[in-house]
Amino acid sequence: MGTLDYFEVECPEPLGGEYYKRIVSTVLLDHDLVKVVAKIHVFIDPKVPIFVAAGTTRKLPSLVTVRDFSDLNIEDHKVTISIANEAYLAPLLKILWDKFGQARVDQPDRFTIVMPLERAESESLPDLVVTDPSEALYKDLIYAMQAIAPEGFKVRRQYYGNGKFYYIASENTLDEDITPLLSEKFRLMGESL
Amino acid sequence: MILVPVTYKGGIYRHDEIVDLIEDVGGYIIQKHFLAQEVVLQALVPRDDIELIRTVGKPLMGDITPASLVGTEIAVVTMSLEIHHLPHASCDVAEYIRRNGAKTNMVGLARGFGKRIAQLNDEERDVINEHDLALFMLGNFETCIEKKLPVLRRGIDVPIVVCGGPSKEALEKIIDPPVSGYVGNVGRFMHRTKESDEIEKLEEIVGEITRVLDIRREEIAKDPLSVSPARLMDIITEQVPDIEDVTSPTPITVQIAGLRIKLPYDIYAGKIRECEIEEGITIGAVAEVRPSRMRDYILIQIRPFSDTNIVV
Repeated sequence: MGTLDYFEVECPEPLGGEYYKRIVSTVLLDHDLVKVVAKIHVFIDPKVPIFVAAGTTRKLPSLVTVRDFSDLNIEDHKVTISIANEAYLAPLLKILWDKFGQARVDQPDRFTIVMPLERAESESLPDLVVTDPSEALYKDLIYAMQAIAPEGFKVRRQYYGNGKFYYIASENTLDEDITPLLSEKFRLMGESL
Repeated sequence: MILVPVTYKGGIYRHDEIVDLIEDVGGYIIQKHFLAQEVVLQALVPRDDIELIRTVGKPLMGDITPASLVGTEIAVVTMSLEIHHLPHASCDVAEYIRRNGAKTNMVGLARGFGKRIAQLNDEERDVINEHDLALFMLGNFETCIEKKLPVLRRGIDVPIVVCGGPSKEALEKIIDPPVSGYVGNVGRFMHRTKESDEIEKLEEIVGEITRVLDIRREEIAKDPLSVSPARLMDIITEQVPDIEDVTSPTPITVQIAGLRIKLPYDIYAGKIRECEIEEGITIGAVAEVRPSRMRDYILIQIRPFSDTNIVV
């Protein structure tokens, strides 16, 4: 886990903490999040019981637009989209169907989409946002934290935004104000909430 | 004649000669698996004939090794069937025990997770009690194990071996009353066990289970069973041909003092009770045939000599 700028697991039971350090590194590696997470501080106290994972992410890739993965040929009454990266084909088709209707979206082959659109309609097409990588990342991060946290800790609160994330869980009711606890953990990493 | 649990691994070609030999010398085949061009036999064979089987098996690329857990059924109790506990560590452990000859069943508790909220329901309790031993796969924290184990072991009357993150000494200290066996430093982990120290830990688990089951075997030897479970398996296979139609890998599972038969209780229980072992002695006379809590299977518990005054 040398690629992380900061990685600590804090636990009143030292041996339990060591095991959790291994679990955190395995899960981050398995979920391909090592390049995404910059700093992470995990705090577990089984006596309370509480689990806190707080951290920061590296700079994320920007929004993916149609022009990022395809070539567009815009004519007066027709637009032809040639897809270069198939990974974005399914979400793009869904957006186009919603926007223009399924009848107007023709797909003669796997990598080509043809639509009878007027120039006015098609002008904004290159900048159409297809996916937001940070959304998927948020889901991945929270899923990873769920896998790391002890399973019985079902009551949870989570947040991701501005390059920071936290996941706090317990099997009892959480305190209404969790900010002091989280602020302390962010401070240990040299960050502020 | 002392029967010893062994595993025979060899080529599939002419393996029936080995099967015949084991049966001819008075041994029993408990499980037979075909893996591509290889056959694996879990068997109980007379101690004096192991060398003979080895000699006959040598030209067939066969090897015979001791497998201490052949003829046992073990419940691997995992706190849930979520990604937190499967496939690592529960499946790794269950698979390793299986390699040593045991039939393992994974018992994933519905509400085994958590410290305060953990519980065991009556079905889980009864299913665990149908096994020879329960292996509890617990977590990494002493606090949690101390608090939740008394709840999870309530009503379990088979020997319990506990695996947990804390050291063996710590487990012995926090578990009260004591359980039959402890293996420390095997708690929750999420990576595959492949390093040599991890394999050693799996060996330690097998060793601890063997130690606990040997104590059970010694107890049984003091008041022997009216009939050997392996012999009963042969008799049922012979007299209830419908067992051949069961697609389960082990249609009859041999336990230390009984059998699990994977046939519906309502239809077959009477037929099995009436099976004759020897000269008018039926299974019903030497064993209790009752419904299992696992699906609609049949569970046979062989009664001891002191109860029946019969040894066949």
